[in-house]
Amino acid sequence: MTTPPLYIILSSLDRDKMQLASMIASVGAVSDRAVHIFVSMGAIKAFDKTLSGNERYGDSPMNAVFCERNAPDPIEMFTQGKMLGDMTLWACSMVLDVLEWGEDRLVEGLFDGQMGLTKFLSDAESGQLLTF
Amino acid sequence: MSERKVIDARGSFCPGPLMELIAALKLMQVGDEVEILSTDQGTAKDVPEWAAKVGHETVDSGEKDDHWFVVVRKAK
Repeated sequence: MTTPPLYIILSSLDRDKMQLASMIASVGAVSDRAVHIFVSMGAIKAFDKTLSGNERYGDSPMNAVFCERNAPDPIEMFTQGKMLGDMTLWACSMVLDVLEWGEDRLVEGLFDGQMGLTKFLSDAESGQLLTF
Repeated sequence: MSERKVIDARGSFCPGPLMELIAALKLMQVGDEVEILSTDQGTAKDVPEWAAKVGHETVDSGEKDDHWFVVVRKAK
């Protein structure tokens, strides 16, 4: 039996949520399961290519210890999951529009393009949906 | 002749050891083995679970001194 795809909506910049989402996405993608991620709201700011390292993420209960212990960087985990597994990332077209950002503002080589919420939700009917 | 590669992922947090194992397996031939060393206790259960799900074989696992090890044979 084929495992149904995993759909993830990322909307929070909170480091804890970003950390867990990137872990679930990368492990899912390398476990014979397609993972599709829709990045919206504040979460898109973590993918701003003009930022680097821990300055990408918002504060959270675990943020300080993640920084101190050099926990894996969420953006690097998404990149690794995409490189080794079956993963697509889509930038919310509404948020890019509001921010007046082009796709060229986002981390290079990670996104598959822009998508509207309606299309993503429609696709997600075929799998399991998680939101962060 | 099959090859065995040892990856020292001690000090790497979850899911780092698993991802390092997968990256190594991709470059190896069917029948080759990878031994992953990890200080993350979860690796001892996560890696065999992953291997069973995707169709590889766990040939050995356990605890040694201050770390855990899992040996996976590439089966496809």
